[in-house]
Amino acid sequence: MVRRVLSLPSGRIAVGLLVLIALLAALGPVLAPQDPLATSDNTLASVSWSHWLGTDYLGRDTFSRLLDGSRVSVLASLEVALVALGVGAVPGILSVYLGRVFEWGTLRLADTLVALPFLLFAVAVTALLGNGLTQAMLVTGVLVSPLFYRVSRAATLAVARSQYVEAAIISGASVGWVVRRHVWAKVLPPIAIALAQTIGVGFIIVSSLTFLGIGVQPPAPTWGGLLASDLGYLDYQPWAPLAPAILIMLTVWASNLLADTIRDVSGEAGRAFVTHRRDVRSAHDASDQNATAHSGGAR
Amino acid sequence: MTLLSEKPAAVRPAPTVDPVLSLRDVRIGNPHTGAEIVHGVSLELTPGKVVGVVGESGSGKTLTCRAALGILPANLAVTSGSIEIAGADISTLGSREWTALRGSTISAVFQDPASYLNPSIQVGPQVAEVLRVKKGLKRREARHRAIELLQAVHLRQPELVYSQYPHELSGGMLQRILIAAACAADPQVLIADEATTALDVTVQAEILDLLADLRDSTGLALVVVSHDLAVVAQLCEEVLVMRDGAVVEHGPTSQVLYRPEHDYTRLLIDEHEQYGLHRFVKGKNVPEEQAS
Amino acid sequence: MTAPVLQVSDLDVHYGLRRRRRQALQGVSLDVSAGETVGLIGETGSGKSTLARAVLGLVPSSGGRIVIDGEDVSGYRERQWRRLRRRGVVQYVFQDPLRSLDPDLTIEDSLVEPLLIQGVSRREAVARARTFLDRVHLSADLLPKVPGEISGGQRQRVAVARALVTEPRLIVLDEPVSALDSANRVQVLEILKELRGSGVALVFISHDLGSVAGIADRIAVLYQGELVEVGAAAAVINEPDHPYTRLLVSSAPTLRAASATRAEREELRALLSV
Ligand SMILES: Nc1ncnc2c1ncn2[C@@H]1O[C@H](COP(=O)(O)OP(=O)(O)OP(=O)(O)O)[C@@H](O)[C@H]1O
Ligand SMILES: Nc1ncnc2c1ncn2[C@@H]1O[C@H](COP(=O)(O)OP(=O)(O)OP(=O)(O)O)[C@@H](O)[C@H]1O
Ligand SMILES: [Mg+2]
Ligand SMILES: [Mg+2]
Repeated sequence: MVRRVLSLPSGRIAVGLLVLIALLAALGPVLAPQDPLATSDNTLASVSWSHWLGTDYLGRDTFSRLLDGSRVSVLASLEVALVALGVGAVPGILSVYLGRVFEWGTLRLADTLVALPFLLFAVAVTALLGNGLTQAMLVTGVLVSPLFYRVSRAATLAVARSQYVEAAIISGASVGWVVRRHVWAKVLPPIAIALAQTIGVGFIIVSSLTFLGIGVQPPAPTWGGLLASDLGYLDYQPWAPLAPAILIMLTVWASNLLADTIRDVSGEAGRAFVTHRRDVRSAHDASDQNATAHSGGAR
Repeated sequence: MTLLSEKPAAVRPAPTVDPVLSLRDVRIGNPHTGAEIVHGVSLELTPGKVVGVVGESGSGKTLTCRAALGILPANLAVTSGSIEIAGADISTLGSREWTALRGSTISAVFQDPASYLNPSIQVGPQVAEVLRVKKGLKRREARHRAIELLQAVHLRQPELVYSQYPHELSGGMLQRILIAAACAADPQVLIADEATTALDVTVQAEILDLLADLRDSTGLALVVVSHDLAVVAQLCEEVLVMRDGAVVEHGPTSQVLYRPEHDYTRLLIDEHEQYGLHRFVKGKNVPEEQAS
Repeated sequence: MTAPVLQVSDLDVHYGLRRRRRQALQGVSLDVSAGETVGLIGETGSGKSTLARAVLGLVPSSGGRIVIDGEDVSGYRERQWRRLRRRGVVQYVFQDPLRSLDPDLTIEDSLVEPLLIQGVSRREAVARARTFLDRVHLSADLLPKVPGEISGGQRQRVAVARALVTEPRLIVLDEPVSALDSANRVQVLEILKELRGSGVALVFISHDLGSVAGIADRIAVLYQGELVEVGAAAAVINEPDHPYTRLLVSSAPTLRAASATRAEREELRALLSV
């Protein structure tokens, strides 16, 4: 699967970007040239050598805040994704195998979660577990999990009655084995697509929650938070929201691209697609070097 | 209608009727690599005619059928030759014309019935859907007619089957449902690609009778692809023998299957006979020379 | 004579609940001994696959007894079934060679799967997979390929090899040759014949009477959920007893002789309905 994803240019671009963003998340706080929390009198300064992206309304270095905030932002998005996978996708897959009671229970639960008012739930959970980014992301993860539940359940249902799954069961395979070996690879592409969407939604929710005072508290920087506060000073620095916005968009775009690529290369059709692309490319190569067109065309 | 075709029609004794399906030297391959899989198939189907296609696995039988229906896999295309359905060259057809053509002029039954039915919808409504879309029947009429069709393909308890889901039916029952759906809109051409492999011989005999009746009453033309030479011998007037994408022998059944000229055809018949029922039945062993 | 590997007695199977509940098998009894091949024929929808699936524990039985290799499995729960299956005593081969192999797994992965489930080490499993690939006359070059890259006949032989790797005592084959062309059919049937020599019990389900007659020692005929005739292969084919068997044998098309005409078949059908 990994090899097939990387065989397509879009896959290489997506993976490359995501690796870059991961590096940013890992090293960002270390790389930040200045203390992201140190205020100064130099407020709303424009771009200069000492402040690559200027300063904000409290005179803090925007570039440092962006770098410093990357870890929290990316981790928060990952947390949403992991919670959604754990609370949504896993029960979605298992609902097909663990019998009627489990199936009925999880189906009703998914329906309930969809119907729950988001803010009420968020406020209730923070009241219960305390206010913090982890809790806020937990809430978000749980709330998007019905999507994962449905997507993975539908994909599993399609595989569950297939003959190769029955062949494995006849050889004594446990539910876990069947899922790991046969179901996972077919369920992954739709889940990856849902995941890519969720990461995008995650960024936006982080910022809207910050705005409401839930989750990250104002001095600590996040991409979403930066975007929100920059938007308040549009009159003075109309270009300021650009940097966090580009980072968010890039992440979302790269994850969507990766999801699309996974979908393209997965399964029977995917394999044909990859071969088809290779054929087209080799046909191009062949027509480029016209002299050897005849012998070089195939393969 | 034939005015549309550029090439002059093949010279045949008394060409009284126009062909409903004609393939002329159809080649199928990958246009990008130039790899060719089917190397020229020609056949002409007039109303009421039944042509059989036999040959080893992977010889391109299914691809040829798919080409005639305009549903080749994405990486393959008809690289040369022409296909005409009821006088219209299919390379000129847009997707809307195809939709109008499929089902009502040309339809098909493929070997693997489960993958052509929606697993989460009862089978009856899926047949009725064809009737509503293609023949404009109302819901009630469509249901009524669909049950008649299920009866026509000899399903016991058609009302019950109507409301069952694909996974509740056996392979042979599903295959008959597809046959019913394919005949629902009274097509002129039916392509049956291994359409009776999942049926027991008694039901198969009845389905073959049904197809023969349709041929006699409505002039249905058939392309029958089968590994079972005996089925082809029973139903078809003309046979194509394919191997490695090429037609090695083409002619009347009585000649190709009973006095084969090509070595490959002989091999095919030998292999078929190796487990032919006649070898195990004492009474049925008829001298080799006796043709149909 | 050895003790039967499979003993089915008075088996009932129902599908559906409450109003949709219908009987698929009724009082079916059948024994299969080691080294014996029993052909199972019958009308479509008569319950052949159901019988096979009941024997493998894929559908629950509602009455009667199933004994596999001396073990009464009738009331088995999921966990007990899994323990029995892990021993690799029973295996199954499906009709459709494309869909019975996972399209995403290589041939090697599919072949070693039953062994890995048993807990055999990967190295040994691969070695055994190679041996059995050889048994079905396929070359080891196929191991790194996926099912989409090999022909239908090859796929079906891989499916047979997968059923063999655990060295089962009983293999149930549900229409293993009906999707194959004559050349491949002959090959698979020859492989099954070789197997019989090594003492494996086979249940061979098929619509192709020629194949059944050619490979089975005994033939059992199912009609509407009941076993209407069981007997030596030659006897069932040549002197069918039950009207349905007569209809079946006479309807079979052959190249050499005309099968029953429509009128003759209707006559036999009329016999059936009384
Ligand atoms: N999408 C595809 N891309 C490339 N090759 C293909 C594709 N589909 C089929 N083929 C090849 O084309 C050849 C003909 O396939 P086709 O399915 O027409 O055979 P067939 O005569 O119907 O065989 P069978 O009797 O087994 O159904 C095969 O060798 C197959 O590998
Ligand atoms: N899951 C199910 N739920 C309800 N009914 C079922 C189910 N599976 C099978 N049946 C019914 O049981 C009967 C026997 O089916 P089975 O698949 O055993 O037939 P078969 O003899 O194998 O037929 P074929 O030769 O066509 O494969 C059929 O009438 C079918 O409709
Ligand atoms: Mg085919
Ligand atoms: Mg069956």
